[in-house]
Amino acid sequence: MALLEIENLHVSYRTPHGEAVAVDGVSLALEEGDYLGLVGESGCGKSTIAKAILGILPQAARVAGSLRFAGRELIGLSVIELRRIRWRDIALIPQNAMNGFDPVYTIEKQLDEAIAAHADLPAGARRERIAALFAMVGLSPDRLKDYAHQFSGGMRQRAMIAMALALDPKLIVADEPTTGLDVIIQDQILERMAEIHATAGNAMLLITHDMAVVSENCDRIAVMYAGRIMEIGGTDVFLSPLHPYTMGLCNAFPDAARREGELISIPGTPPSLVDPPSGCRFHTRCPFATARCTDEVPPLIEISRGHFAACHHADRAPEFRDQARDPATWRTATP
Amino acid sequence: MTGFARYVARRLALMLFVIWAILTIIFVLFKLLPGDPTAIFVDSNFSVEMIERQRALWGLDDPIPVQYARYLGNMALFDFGESFFQNQTVAAILFEKTRNTALMIVPALVISIVLGALIGAIAGWRRGSLMEKTTVVTALFLHSAPSFFVGILALMVFSYQLGWLPPGGMVSLGGPETLWGIVTSGDYWQHLALPCLVLVSREITGPILLLRGSMLEVKGSDFIDILRAKGLPERQIVTHAARNALLPLVTYIAVMTGLLFQGQVLLEIIFAWPGIGRELVVALNDLDYPVAQAALYVMALVTLALNFLADLVYGVIDPRVTYD
Amino acid sequence: MTDTAVRIETSRPRFAKRRPGVVAMLVTALFIAMAAFAPFIAPYGPFDVAYDTDRAVVALSPPGWQNWFGTTNQGMDVFSQFVWGARVALIVGLISALGSVLLGTFVGLVSGYFGGWIDEALMRATDIAFGMPFLPFAMVIISIAEPSLALVILLVIFFLWRTPARVIRAQVLSLKARPFVWAARAAGASDARIIIREILPNVLPLSFLYMAIGVQTGVMLEAALSFLGFGDPNVQSWGIMLNAAFRAGAMRTAWWWVLPPGLALSIFVIAVFMITRAFEDRLNPQLRAI
Repeated sequence: MALLEIENLHVSYRTPHGEAVAVDGVSLALEEGDYLGLVGESGCGKSTIAKAILGILPQAARVAGSLRFAGRELIGLSVIELRRIRWRDIALIPQNAMNGFDPVYTIEKQLDEAIAAHADLPAGARRERIAALFAMVGLSPDRLKDYAHQFSGGMRQRAMIAMALALDPKLIVADEPTTGLDVIIQDQILERMAEIHATAGNAMLLITHDMAVVSENCDRIAVMYAGRIMEIGGTDVFLSPLHPYTMGLCNAFPDAARREGELISIPGTPPSLVDPPSGCRFHTRCPFATARCTDEVPPLIEISRGHFAACHHADRAPEFRDQARDPATWRTATP
Repeated sequence: MTGFARYVARRLALMLFVIWAILTIIFVLFKLLPGDPTAIFVDSNFSVEMIERQRALWGLDDPIPVQYARYLGNMALFDFGESFFQNQTVAAILFEKTRNTALMIVPALVISIVLGALIGAIAGWRRGSLMEKTTVVTALFLHSAPSFFVGILALMVFSYQLGWLPPGGMVSLGGPETLWGIVTSGDYWQHLALPCLVLVSREITGPILLLRGSMLEVKGSDFIDILRAKGLPERQIVTHAARNALLPLVTYIAVMTGLLFQGQVLLEIIFAWPGIGRELVVALNDLDYPVAQAALYVMALVTLALNFLADLVYGVIDPRVTYD
Repeated sequence: MTDTAVRIETSRPRFAKRRPGVVAMLVTALFIAMAAFAPFIAPYGPFDVAYDTDRAVVALSPPGWQNWFGTTNQGMDVFSQFVWGARVALIVGLISALGSVLLGTFVGLVSGYFGGWIDEALMRATDIAFGMPFLPFAMVIISIAEPSLALVILLVIFFLWRTPARVIRAQVLSLKARPFVWAARAAGASDARIIIREILPNVLPLSFLYMAIGVQTGVMLEAALSFLGFGDPNVQSWGIMLNAAFRAGAMRTAWWWVLPPGLALSIFVIAVFMITRAFEDRLNPQLRAI
């Protein structure tokens, strides 16, 4: 039994323009101690999954499907039960930690609050734990009484990580934890997270748009596009991608070794979630799309061991990979 | 000097500057007012010498700069001289009238702020509910309705027609005079009922709308999501939200008080409440200039002092505010 | 929800949101019509005294066929006064709103754009203006001169300009930093050109907002001053009507004299306010959730 099992998850929102389907039939599984990276462009539904796992979707959201944690179905679970699980078993490191803390309470108070809500520890024990947490993320304990705005961006993010670790949860969901931070800090944060993963062994779901980050840190990678999973597997998702979209993503991140050659980006923009393309969602921007791609939705099938892709032409992946490295290929794609 | 001390000093200096400017304006205005103050003696048998002496006593013959300097000095020390009509020092009169105005405003303020903030916060938290919608519509309606007409209506209905409440004044004739005496008399509360009701109906809308807006903003903040994700009970989350949502209220309170203080002229006239606003109107009609002048000054001063206080208090309670 | 590219809103049909605004506009239009066609609607002039068949003044008579809203204590037709009063309200409202917005916008633009000592000086002036409570000062100034409608309008303008000035200045400050202004300056445009072509159009919506607020406030302030006895005795504004009723002690009995002007004031002000609200989310760049 996997730690986290997402099966055919659907999340949609009512908007003035119609129903926007943010997550359209996503299935994922995470084992204990896994480090899974979920990659995709902005607006593809990644954050929605994070919120769905924690159960903090806005009221306007409609959820269907199954989301099981340690065998327990979370969708439809009563708020009281959900509260017990929250933070103690599953914690969240949000995007933009700047706003993750209440500006008028001290950081210490907020960490303390998290612990006190779930563990029956006396104040002294809680203080010790908080100090230990800060040490774990490399923050000085005399900053505990400060407020969020007094911390730099990187420090805030580390404090957020400390808070997430407070109860040593089995699963940590990190939603774009390094967006908005400069590269050096990004690196530090990710290193820290990798350390924590190695020592404490919590399962981690890292959500990001940055393929490079995921390739460096995660054991398993899932690629998401327009609310659907396009590819999922181990590090060969990056090393030998099967799906054209993944190939495009890999191209978009410059390789310092290949200094010649232009930066290749996928032409076009992410599709509307209200009126998505038919068939394979990516066909409108895919240089290898055929008529079949417009008509039939490709199922997510296992191509090689542990490596799944949702592409009708996954068998031609090696050929596509070569072509994908040539900028001319992407220019001919008609978005 | 710490940043905060420097900030206080700067705001204080600004406030003093504005007070000086306003005092000067008042001085000029009153010099322009028609009516010779000694004209009240026209009927009596004062001889010309005595009138001259009176003018000298009041310093009306000194050159303008001298008068101005003396005026500034007096105003700073709250020495307003004697009323032309009433047999008291202006300071004593105004002190009493200011107290009376406070007696009308303070209860209304307390109710408006406490009740208003509560209602507003709940409305904001429960966005989209029936309670919120009706609250907003009612608040907007009351907010824009001219309060003095509401006052007149209230008088007509509750006092004249139904006879439930007295038609005006603060206490009945011959009633208590000391602050304590007034506050503890049922008579005062009866007289207070109508003006207070009218005041509250208008003033409560401010905190309601403010808190609602503020709460809506806070509710949409990311940290609220995290609080929920932390598995905290609803009550704790609302407390977090409220602590944030209340911040703008502090500034609003001070500004509100300032506005109320000088704006109650209308209600004081309608309800014949012996406050400072009414005193100004009466003094202007009677040409009792020392009183009018001092009343104007006091009203401006209170407004400015309260705004200044608001700035200070806000800086203290919001940890994000820095002084540079 | 920064992830999804679609804005999530609670579903509220757009029509319902517009309805109060539409009603408000109808009501306002009614008032404007009343003011414009006053000579045709009002059966009498505002100061005409009604005499009955016995040549005695018909004082304080309740509504009837002759006088739809009854008469005042001096025998004047309340309905006519009510209609003529609309004119005064509109004149006061429009002129004072226009004046205060023009002044306020000008100050805000100059102050925000040029900064430096001009900004300091103008801001000090607004500080002083903010420290002067309207009614008390207006009463004193009117006591100096003769009470007249023009003076009242002038006073209202001088007390209204301060808010738009501050707000527009803030808006200009934030606009000044935007790229399109740098671009214009880099292209060598003169200050005046930048202000007029680039900044003013972005500030105008705010100005319109304050126009509407100004009409509301202007009418209220004139009514307040008139009610207190500082209004222009040569006009019959709604405030003056209330003042006359109050002084005559007619509040106790002559409801027909008190209600029309009072209700007219309330409804007019509320209507304008509703219009402001209906357009505020479009006009106010800060888009507060109220």
